[in-house]
Amino acid sequence: MEIQSRKLLNISFTSVGVMAILLMAISLVVLLFPIFMKGMGAFVFRETVENRELMLQRFGRGNREEVMADVRETEAARKPVYELMERFEEEMSKADSEFRRKYRSEYGDIKEMIGELLGPGPGDREGALIRKRYGKVRMDRALAKLDQILKVETYDYSDTSSMGKKVLKPRREIFSGTTLEPVFTILEKDINKMMKPGLKFYWRFLFDKSQDAHFFGGIWPEVLGTLYLSIGAMIFAIPFGIVAAIYLAEYAGEGRLTRLIRVSISSLAGVPSIVFGLFGLAFFINTMNISNSKSVMAGSLTLALLVLPIIIRASEEAIKSVPRGYREAAMSLGGGKWHTIISVVLPAALPGILTSIIVSLGRAAGETAPIIFTAAVSVGKPLAIWQTLSQPTPALPWSVYNLATEHEAVNEIRHVQYGMVLTLVVLVLLLNLTAIIIRKRVSKKLRR
Amino acid sequence: MIRWIRIFSSILLLTSALSLGTSDSAYAGKADKIVIDGSTTVGPIAKAFAEYYMSNNKDVNITVSESGSGNGAKSLLNKMCNIATMSRFMKDGEFSAAVKNGIMPVAHVVAVDGIAMIVHPSNPIKELSVEKVREIYKGKYTNWKQLGGPDVKIVMISRDTNSGTYETFEKLVMNKERIEENAEYVGSNGAVRQRVQSTPAAIGYVGLGFVDRTVKALTIEGVYPDSRSIASGVYPIARPLYMFTDRYPRLGTHLHAFITLYLTPRGQEIIEEIGFIPVTQYKYNK
Repeated sequence: MEIQSRKLLNISFTSVGVMAILLMAISLVVLLFPIFMKGMGAFVFRETVENRELMLQRFGRGNREEVMADVRETEAARKPVYELMERFEEEMSKADSEFRRKYRSEYGDIKEMIGELLGPGPGDREGALIRKRYGKVRMDRALAKLDQILKVETYDYSDTSSMGKKVLKPRREIFSGTTLEPVFTILEKDINKMMKPGLKFYWRFLFDKSQDAHFFGGIWPEVLGTLYLSIGAMIFAIPFGIVAAIYLAEYAGEGRLTRLIRVSISSLAGVPSIVFGLFGLAFFINTMNISNSKSVMAGSLTLALLVLPIIIRASEEAIKSVPRGYREAAMSLGGGKWHTIISVVLPAALPGILTSIIVSLGRAAGETAPIIFTAAVSVGKPLAIWQTLSQPTPALPWSVYNLATEHEAVNEIRHVQYGMVLTLVVLVLLLNLTAIIIRKRVSKKLRR
Repeated sequence: MIRWIRIFSSILLLTSALSLGTSDSAYAGKADKIVIDGSTTVGPIAKAFAEYYMSNNKDVNITVSESGSGNGAKSLLNKMCNIATMSRFMKDGEFSAAVKNGIMPVAHVVAVDGIAMIVHPSNPIKELSVEKVREIYKGKYTNWKQLGGPDVKIVMISRDTNSGTYETFEKLVMNKERIEENAEYVGSNGAVRQRVQSTPAAIGYVGLGFVDRTVKALTIEGVYPDSRSIASGVYPIARPLYMFTDRYPRLGTHLHAFITLYLTPRGQEIIEEIGFIPVTQYKYNK
């Protein structure tokens, strides 16, 4: 080949490589940036007075005097709203039936939405659910609710050839001429006085239990459950994985059987994770009866099976790549085979083995499918360590999915979902980081 | 090597210490658990009951999973849960399988629910008859134009066949006739709502507790689904919601206190606030 074309090939190859890396970096940023920004919304947000009241009453946090002063202040600002509503109700009761028919359902809507925004008003019965006892605790949700109150969403169906068009109409127009009309101006103008927003750094989001199915509070049971599951999986997978790898690399001959075992392990690594989940349910719970319901134990065992092939294959490669000279030197000093493996080969292969553990730890923490049938629930307490043997737990990956699809009030609690995603990503990164640091120190020691 | 074992065990110790700090270790001796599995429709009730009950009884751990009524029944007959929440009654097959496994399922009707037909709010259709809904899902009507709407193809959303809501829909609306093949099957009430709120041409069905402002519930046979029309029995697509236990729980147990929660005033308030109808308000019209 001519030198010129070789150079050209070289350049084009490098540029394609660089492009690929750039593309990956960009997609990583595009992916991680929103996760980070939206996820931070669960930790840092503008809270309203309702949140301070909630924190005081449900968690016993905050200065009672200050919070009560805030509450009184906002109550004073809210008073005109309730007065107007009362006066309108009076007007309705006195007016003729046509007036009543015209406004009854509209007013019912507004009353309901104001209740959602500000919490129960004076004289209202206290709700049974915690979500009914407080107004909007986050300013962004409060403003969205305010928008709904101010503008009514109607659809214009006049064009029969297509779907209706959304029309936003100020609700004030509906009530023009009634005593309720000024309420909209007051709400719009005084929303800050009514809610007293302030910046809140809610780091306890990580360590609080959830209140009222994730409406309020934090995600501690999920975080703890994820830690249990992934560390539990490692407890089962690491010893078995390494022993199997040692056997395959050091003891098993190169026969047809070993080849078959290797192929099996490799294909096991490619089995979809839901299959492991169903297997875990059928084997560990229904057949082995290790617990009489879903449990962390069953989930950990299933996850261990899932990551076992990764650990075995990578550890085997690591053990095999230890130079022959090491073994020969150890043997020549009189060490037996077992002794050689334990004191020479394994330490030398440790960085490689640790890499496989890092990869599988992240995988175990993030997997959803294997734990659906074996360990994960959507509501539960944080478990003590002995309870993990018999009880199921909430876990981050499953709860993210559950909140996104099954929760009855998805739109109100998006921030919790995002917070969980961020926590999961950071948790996996942290677990990996510790493992990476450990690996670095090991290999440094080896080089010495 | 030994050092690594030491580090590893210290991580273990650390997590166990963390968990000790947060759990009620004083109660560990008489710790009790109630495992609930089943319907996504009954899920909100089960979750709210669980939290209410746990806040008053610190020594119990109640876990709730929502994997569909069919899975709830399977869990109960495999002795994997204490309570199966179901939005339909147990089928004969499930019942006999349970008895064979030594389980005697006992039904507790905890609430009544209406199945609302929902469309996107931009859809001009306001009202349908049960028969029209059936014809849509049978594939006879494929375009909203045939029902007096715009010229847009109908997107049918249905629950998966594991769901009790699906079974009720099949029984009360479809008359056991097959749903047309190209209907889209999704796994939960929330997912149906999500599909409908993002697809203008869609129609779907969900439990009343899942209807919110983002979708439009249709008037069926002249009756709009709300708590009043369902409680009085005039709304045609209504069904009871169940919790199944193995035998009637013994008096004085947590399970007994939990399963009878729906009869207490507090329990009924919770059911009402979530958007279902307490059984005491339901007037059977048959």
